[in-house]
Amino acid sequence: MAVIDVKTDITGNVWKIVTKPGDHVGEDEPLLILESMKMEIPVSAPEAGVVKEILTTEGATVTEGTVLARLEV
Amino acid sequence: MDEKLLQDVDARRARAARMGGPEKLESRRKRGGTNAIERLGFLVDPGSFIETGLLGASSLKADEAATPRDGKVCGFAKIDGRDVAVCVNDFTVKGASTGATNGRKLAHLRRTATEKGMAFVHIGESTGARLPDAMGSRGMGTMLGNDPTQFRRARDTPWASAALDTSFGSSAWLCCCSDFAVMRKGSVMAVSSPRLVSMAIGEKVDLEELGGWRVHAELTGLIDRFVDSDEEAMAEVRRFLSYMPSHNGAPPPECAVAEDAVQDQNAILEVLPAKRTQVYDMRKIIAVIFDRGSVFELKARFGRSAVVALARLGGRSVGVIANNPNVAGGALSVEAVRKIVDFQVMCDSFNIPIVRLVDTPGFVVGTDAERKGAPGHIMNFMNCTSFVTVPSITVIARKAYGRAYVAMGGGRHNEEMIAWPTAEVSFMDPTFATTIVHGLKPGDEGFEEAFAEIGKDTEIWDMATIYSVQNVIKPQETRDYLIRMLDVYRLRRSGGIGEHLMRNWPTSM
Repeated sequence: MAVIDVKTDITGNVWKIVTKPGDHVGEDEPLLILESMKMEIPVSAPEAGVVKEILTTEGATVTEGTVLARLEV
Repeated sequence: MDEKLLQDVDARRARAARMGGPEKLESRRKRGGTNAIERLGFLVDPGSFIETGLLGASSLKADEAATPRDGKVCGFAKIDGRDVAVCVNDFTVKGASTGATNGRKLAHLRRTATEKGMAFVHIGESTGARLPDAMGSRGMGTMLGNDPTQFRRARDTPWASAALDTSFGSSAWLCCCSDFAVMRKGSVMAVSSPRLVSMAIGEKVDLEELGGWRVHAELTGLIDRFVDSDEEAMAEVRRFLSYMPSHNGAPPPECAVAEDAVQDQNAILEVLPAKRTQVYDMRKIIAVIFDRGSVFELKARFGRSAVVALARLGGRSVGVIANNPNVAGGALSVEAVRKIVDFQVMCDSFNIPIVRLVDTPGFVVGTDAERKGAPGHIMNFMNCTSFVTVPSITVIARKAYGRAYVAMGGGRHNEEMIAWPTAEVSFMDPTFATTIVHGLKPGDEGFEEAFAEIGKDTEIWDMATIYSVQNVIKPQETRDYLIRMLDVYRLRRSGGIGEHLMRNWPTSM
C-alpha cells in the first residue's frame, strides 16, 4: 500500500467535492470538480484506491500543483 | 576432424550457457524474477534467435571464467516475422555492467541494425560501468568514448527498450535514446544507484523516489508504458514494433482489419457534451474513431492534458495527437507540449501519418509555466509542427484558440483541416475577449450581449466560407473521412517515405 498525492493541473476554484475519506474510487474517477477558465474541470484519481484525505474546501482558490487529496493505492 | 575439438566447442558453449551460475539463477527464480533467456523467450518468435558473441567474455584474463557472454545476450531474431537486433542484459553476470567486450557486442548490434535496416531492441537491467575496469585514466581511455557514433541517434531504425529491476547506467541511457521504453512496476531507472548517489551528494535516497515507476510516469516522461510483469513488458515491445516500419526507408506495415474493427460512430455524440463549459474525456472519442482495440497510448500519466497514441485506421498505422479537455480543460502544459513534440518527431521520422484532434483553450500560462521555459517549448512545438512531412489531418473538435491551435496543426500546418460543427475558433476564449475588447466583466451590464456577439464570431462557418477550414463534418463521419483523405494524401512520389527533417532531434525532449 502506498499513499499518493493528487494534485491539480490547473489554477481554479473548488466548485464541488464529490468524494469523502474512506470512499473507494476507480482510476480516472473524479474526486472533486474545479471551476477554471469558465469550465468545470474534474480532479480525478490517477489510480484506483481509497480516499485518505481531502485537503481543500468548496469555494477555495487553488493554484496549479497544489495537493488536493491523498489516495491510498 | 579431431573429435576433441568438437567436444571443446560443446564445452565452451555449455560454460557460456551457465550464465551467472545456478545459485544466482535460483535466487532470482525464488523471488519471482525471470532471467535473460526467459525474457528473450517472451520477446521473440519461437526458434528465431541466432546469437552473436556467445563466447565473448571479459577482456581481463582474471575475469574471463566469471563473465559468460560478458553479461549480455546479443543476437538477431524475428518479432512477428520481421528481423530485429536484440540485446538482453544478463544481470547474473557482474550485474550486466558495461565491459569492453559487451560494449563491442552492443555496438555491433546497433551498427548492424542501422546498416541492414531492422529494429533494435534492448532489454535493460544493469548496474552501470564495470569497476575496476573503467577506473583510472587507462580504464577510462579503454572503456569510454572510443566510439564516436555510440550516441548518434538519427532514427534510422526504430529502437525499443525495457527498464527491468535495477536499470542504472547503460540501461537508462538506452531507454532515453529509444523511440519507446517500457518499465515493469517495482523497477528503478536512474543515472546511478542510491548507494552511489548517497556517497556523492550525502543525500539518503529511496529507490522509488530516485527512479521508481511513478517518478517516470508523472514527472520525467522518460518511459512510455508501465506493466506488472516481465512477460507483459516484452509483449509491449512487440506491440510497439507492430506499428513501426523496420527502418525509416519503408512505410509502416499494414494489418488485416478485424471484422469488428469498426465501431458505431454515433457513440462520439454521447461523449461530446452539448454545453461548452462541460469537459469530456477525449480518450473515449479516440477509442471510437480508430480501429477497435488498436489505440496504444504513450506517456498516459505525463502531461495529461494531451494524449498521444499509436493506433490504426483501416489497418494502417497512424499517430494520434489530441487535447484532453478532461485535464486542465485541455490547456497545454509544458509537459504536454514536450510529450507531443517527442511523439510527433517519432511519427514523422518513421513515415506514420498523423491525425490531430483539437480542443484546447490555449497554453497554460502563469509564473510556473514561464519558469519551466514555456515560450521555448512552445516554439519547439511550432518548429516541430512546421517540419512535419508525413500526411497529417487536423480535426477541430471544439475549442481552438490562439497560438496553441496553430501548434496543434491548425491553419496550413496539415494536408486538410476539418471541423465539427461544435468548433469554436478565435484568438482567445470569448469570455476573456469580451472583457478585453469591451472592458466588461461577467455580471456587468451589457456583458451578455457583447459576449453573444463575440461568441457568434467564433463559430466555424466564417472559416469555412473563406476556405481556411476545408470542410465541416459531423463527428460520426470522422472515421470514414480520415481513411479516405489519408489515402488521397499518400506520398506516392516517394513510396510513402517522408523527408525526416527532425530525425536527429533529441530522443528525450
